[in-house]
Amino acid sequence: MGVYLCFDNPWRPNLQLVHTDAKQLDSMISFTCNLAENVSSKVRQLDLAKSRVQEAIRRVNDVLDLKFCTDGVQTALQNEDYEQAAAHVHRYLTLDENVLKQVTPDSKEDSGLDASLQLLHEAEQQLKAIVNVKFDDAVKTRDLASVERFFKIFPLLGLHDEGLKKFSMYLCTQIANTSRQNLEIALGTESNERRANVIYADTITLLFEGIARVVEIHQPLIETYYGPGRMLSMMRSLQKECDIQVKKIIDSFIKNREFDKKAQQVQQNMMSSYKTNVNQADRLDPRELDVMLAEVTLANARTELYIRFFRRRVLADLEVIDLNATEKQEKLSQLDKVLVNCELSRGMQELIGHYIMMEEYFMRETVMKAIKLDAMESGAYTSSMVDDTFFIVKKSVRRAISSSSIDCVCAMLNHACILLESDFCDVLYNKFRTGFPSGSLDMTQAYNLLQQGKLPTASTADSNAVKAAFLTTVNNAEVSGEYVITLKKSLQDQCTSLYGYTSEQGKAKLESCLSDLGNVSNKFKDVLQYGLNQLNASAIKPRIKPMVDAFLSANHNITEEEFSNYEANDPFVQHFIMSLEQLLHTFKSSLTTSNYDALVSLLTNEVVSQLEKAVMKSVFNRLGGLQFDKELRALVGYLTSVTQWTIRDKFARLTQMATILNLERVTEILDYWGPNSGPLTWRLTPAEVRQVLALRIDFRSEDIKRLKL
Amino acid sequence: MEDYKYLFKVVLIGNAGVGKTCLVRRFTQGLFPPGQGATIGVDFMIKTVQIGDDKVKLQIWDTAGQERFRSITQSYYRSADALVVVYDVTSFESFRCLPDWIKEIEQYASNKAITVLVGNKTDLIEDREVSLDNGTNFASTHEMRFLETSAKEADNVDKLFLDIAEELTKRVQVHEVEDSKDEIAICSQNHTVSATYNCCRW
Ligand SMILES: Nc1nc2c(ncn2[C@@H]2O[C@H](COP(=O)(O)OP(=O)(O)O)[C@@H](O)[C@H]2O)c(=O)[nH]1
Ligand SMILES: [Mg+2]
Repeated sequence: MGVYLCFDNPWRPNLQLVHTDAKQLDSMISFTCNLAENVSSKVRQLDLAKSRVQEAIRRVNDVLDLKFCTDGVQTALQNEDYEQAAAHVHRYLTLDENVLKQVTPDSKEDSGLDASLQLLHEAEQQLKAIVNVKFDDAVKTRDLASVERFFKIFPLLGLHDEGLKKFSMYLCTQIANTSRQNLEIALGTESNERRANVIYADTITLLFEGIARVVEIHQPLIETYYGPGRMLSMMRSLQKECDIQVKKIIDSFIKNREFDKKAQQVQQNMMSSYKTNVNQADRLDPRELDVMLAEVTLANARTELYIRFFRRRVLADLEVIDLNATEKQEKLSQLDKVLVNCELSRGMQELIGHYIMMEEYFMRETVMKAIKLDAMESGAYTSSMVDDTFFIVKKSVRRAISSSSIDCVCAMLNHACILLESDFCDVLYNKFRTGFPSGSLDMTQAYNLLQQGKLPTASTADSNAVKAAFLTTVNNAEVSGEYVITLKKSLQDQCTSLYGYTSEQGKAKLESCLSDLGNVSNKFKDVLQYGLNQLNASAIKPRIKPMVDAFLSANHNITEEEFSNYEANDPFVQHFIMSLEQLLHTFKSSLTTSNYDALVSLLTNEVVSQLEKAVMKSVFNRLGGLQFDKELRALVGYLTSVTQWTIRDKFARLTQMATILNLERVTEILDYWGPNSGPLTWRLTPAEVRQVLALRIDFRSEDIKRLKL
Repeated sequence: MEDYKYLFKVVLIGNAGVGKTCLVRRFTQGLFPPGQGATIGVDFMIKTVQIGDDKVKLQIWDTAGQERFRSITQSYYRSADALVVVYDVTSFESFRCLPDWIKEIEQYASNKAITVLVGNKTDLIEDREVSLDNGTNFASTHEMRFLETSAKEADNVDKLFLDIAEELTKRVQVHEVEDSKDEIAICSQNHTVSATYNCCRW
């Protein structure tokens, strides 16, 4: 306003006036300011006063409540309305006694308040005692409604831990009673009843299911009245009872199934098998273990299921409450401790430990029996022991898998490896070591004799039987190598059913043991190679040499006339092929395709190496070279026709020799040599080329010498 | 395929509490684990080490010492290339049990496996109950290699495992040379090298 005046008359400034105005304005502002300050401080005081009034009202209310509680708790207790009484006590427990006492420090009311507090305090103690007794009574009389009624009152009195402990104990007695009844029923089961074979595993299962049901029903109740985060302590209490009951069931199982007795016998039998073959009668028949072993794995699978349930429940409950990292870690390690150290886990570990030993015995003994009872069947390449052995191994490992215990599966996979790669391979090796008798072979006769289980009378029949057995063993080795890979795959597939709840560590263990099993196929390859080499050495090599000798007696230094005469009267190769055919024929029907091909391959090697030597000992003229070329083509053609493998490459050197022996002139070799070789890779050294050239009776040695190769 | 030339299996055995798990964790993870629980069944760790020009993968099986896991742990002996028997130098009891462990090895392990005796916890000087001589004598009687270690102080732990890896590698390589000589002698094609030592080759 004043400033405005100042500009009102710009051309006649009146500074004096402006100054006065400004002063006035200043005093006005500070007045207003003081006023405002004053008002706001009053308001603040008012605020404070208001909140004090409110506090006071609340305290008054508290005091009134206290009086109400004091009166109410008496009435409620008299009426046995314990919920109401507890509600009063609960209200009283939320009040701060000391603050209350300050409200009326000097007044006469003081003594009244004290008396009220005293009364309430007594009522609280009284109620606590009553609730304890009533709860116990309800448990004794199995008054479920009252149990639940008083269970809900504990937390109102601040007795969370005690209430939960008592309630858990109540649940435990329930679990115990049911379990006892179940065990009695189990023990009374007739052996011909449907599930008699797994009755103890079933009884353990019932126990777990009972506990699960208890948790299922009561967890919501506990959460509602006690708040979340109480599952670990509840489950820990329940587990104590579970341990007691499980022990009873396991003890009955051990006693009635003669588990320990059998385990001991197995242990003794296993030890003795390392030394001498003791009296067979003393050995436990593996069939006696079969059913019992299945029951152990079932019990363990159920236990693992239950433990996973336990863990899941506690973890889910811990998720709900607010915990810092260390608190959470602490809870988790407590959980682990309960699960690792509980009697249930230990008991099952003991059982599984013995199970593995007995399962190994079952597998080993049954396989040994299958080997002992090995029989050849006409029409089958392998003998019975191969199918039987792999069937048994598969059965045992699958059973181990059904236990859901990774360590148990791994142990049985290890035992399967040891059995197959040591014991079973040794059996095959030993059969090979007896060797393959030389002389011709009549397979039909051999099979007949073996099938009838007769001791062959004639020595040829005898050796035929040995030969048939040998060839079967070759097949056994080959097929075993394939079976072991199939077995690994099938077990691996089955193991994936465990992966859902297996740690990375567990999976790595399984994978490692499975891959070891797969590697056993390499051991079978070694055995097979050994057998084939034996066969080659005794049945092929000695037969090929005399056959090839015929080549030496066939003249390859021939006239036109002789050459065309050979068309009609072949001097060597037709007969040679026939002999090979005959030789192979005896094996063709007795070996698997793959083994037969392997044998043809070995035979081809032998033919090639013998024939090379024979060629180097012969002499040729041009027509003789042509004749040899024809012979070679026939031979390669024949051998190609009998096998699925390519054998042409094996003939590379001989084919190149034929090429050389077919040359018109010595120098013609240069059309095929060095830069002119084109796609041809020479397998003959320059020295060998000269050697072959020298076989041509019509080539001059000076020409050969002069060649630059 | 993974990048390693040889794979060897090492199995640790010995009484519970002598420090097998700590030795393995020290070697594979470079730490001394605080208060972990006792091993259940078997644990399995892998570490690849460099031996000369070759990468060698050690598959280390850490076993539980308690009796009830014996049938699980025994199943690993046969395929072990090396067995490490551990005792605790502060526990005469653990030393006294060694013959039982030796018996296990004789019964179940391959006779080609290397055996090593290890006295662990040398850092607990005050509490020592088994002298260095005790260990040395026992090892020489049973023809075992011998080493004292402290998993806690990382004393001799790397040496323990690296020596094993080196020795096994050397053995396979000697074997390979012999095999190739055999191959020339036999001169048969398709000759598969029989793996007398339990190792895989790439
Ligand atoms: N002082 C000391 N304590 C060790 C050593 N190695 C292991 N321990 C402790 O010995 C206890 C058992 O170790 P652990 O590796 O679980 O033994 P394991 O049962 O043989 O596997 C643990 O408390 C370790 O902390 C060591 O070298 N020195
Ligand atoms: Mg351990």
